[in-house]
Amino acid sequence: MTTIQRGANGVPEGAPVVDFDLASHNRMADSNAAWARLRSTSPVAWSADNGGAWIVSSYDAVSEAFRNWESFRSGRAVRTIPGPGGSPDLLPINAVPAQTTALMIPEELDPPLWQPYRRVFSELLSPRKVEALAPRIKHWVTKYLDDVIESGRCDIVDTLTSGVPGAVVLEWLGFPENEWHRLGAAFHNMSAYLPGSPTAQRYLNELEWAFERIREEVTATRATPRDDLTSFFANIQVEGKQTSFEFATGMVNMAMSGGVDTTTSVASAAFVHMHYHPQDRQRLLDKPALIDSAIEEFLRMYPPARTHGRTVVKDTEFGGFLLRKDDRLIISEASACRDEAAFPDADKFVIDRFPNRHVAFGIGPHRCPGSHLARAMFKEMLTQVLERIPDYRIVEAELEEYPNWTALGGWSRAPITFTPGARRL
Amino acid sequence: MKVLVQANRCQGHARCLAEGPDVYVLDHLGYNSTNIDEVPAHLADQARRGALACPERALTIVDESSGSGEASGSTPTVRRGHR
Repeated sequence: MTTIQRGANGVPEGAPVVDFDLASHNRMADSNAAWARLRSTSPVAWSADNGGAWIVSSYDAVSEAFRNWESFRSGRAVRTIPGPGGSPDLLPINAVPAQTTALMIPEELDPPLWQPYRRVFSELLSPRKVEALAPRIKHWVTKYLDDVIESGRCDIVDTLTSGVPGAVVLEWLGFPENEWHRLGAAFHNMSAYLPGSPTAQRYLNELEWAFERIREEVTATRATPRDDLTSFFANIQVEGKQTSFEFATGMVNMAMSGGVDTTTSVASAAFVHMHYHPQDRQRLLDKPALIDSAIEEFLRMYPPARTHGRTVVKDTEFGGFLLRKDDRLIISEASACRDEAAFPDADKFVIDRFPNRHVAFGIGPHRCPGSHLARAMFKEMLTQVLERIPDYRIVEAELEEYPNWTALGGWSRAPITFTPGARRL
Repeated sequence: MKVLVQANRCQGHARCLAEGPDVYVLDHLGYNSTNIDEVPAHLADQARRGALACPERALTIVDESSGSGEASGSTPTVRRGHR
């Protein structure tokens, strides 16, 4: 182990120091290439960008970092190392550069406070409970494809991959249908643009509106509960006590922000992939039983969450270095998923890859509790597209990637054309 | 053949259930609660694939006919009391 001395500016002397500015990764290919270079030389390295952080990129280091919840915490922390501009910041887990948004419960809690809230989410989203949502998932996929199937043309992001998770989650939460599109777009666009950019600033106002709507609905359903998920969170008893208004809104925010945009990202990626790799589409058409392993491989190749942040709460040996209390870590699921040491031919889509122990949903105690719902929605979208519009083509000139691949990645637009078909409803 | 479940490693990914629906059982929170003495021969493949699929390496197959324990991967750091 190398003991790292800290220079006057907080930079650890002796650590592999890299210039790793995630904000400069404006396309998926750039992001993947940058992570691959870093992973091959320094799977744990220090970068002064974003206020200074340890960048964790190999499969093993990422797994170890996510599992070590005792040293590497998810709760918000006050930055003690000077950040850009030198001012202290609250550091949320999932924004690079740091940007403070509404609290997410349970993701931004640590044990022991985390446990009862995590149990609530684990139970709500268990494989068994997700099965009960299958009819609603099927309904919305069918309806949204019905809406466009006679025209032979649509933006598959707006219509399907953003529309379906939005409808399933917001219907469950009990938000009015005429707000679903706007709410979905608020989260979708916040992920797409780099915090601080003028476009992001515009969407930040939309996100503020979404948070305001969450507060209004929690207030309303505390007074008069309905039969929906918002009412459940608003009135929930945790360890015998009614939860605070702040935590109730944090749970609704968690369900909404976790639910409406992440599945969008991987499903959009799958449809883009099958356009550029027609042989993979053909294999799925010829042998539909491959769909489950294909889903895992799409998740590995195109994980929606690219990175998560953690804060070191006690001096900890990690990756051969001594990490100090208050250091920050940026841990990359996306990089781990492309690590050759864990996945032979990691940059290749292997439709029947097994085992495929990817970390698209994270690993360790904060593993995405919505993973089962995400898989169910993704599978239904994939199944119906292959059944109903199997010859779709992306209008390549109109395909738009997110310009921001720091914390999440995805596509803003993916217009497609296809042979028109028949409605089902 | 036996399946050893290290419950404190399980994080509810449910990949064991996907690969071995007739072998693995989850509790109401979605964590592995499998408790079988002996895996019947016709389910051996399901048991093995389920163990291999676990990203947390929480499952170990003990095949007494070969006299060896096949861990599903490298040993992760075990941290107790997280749930």
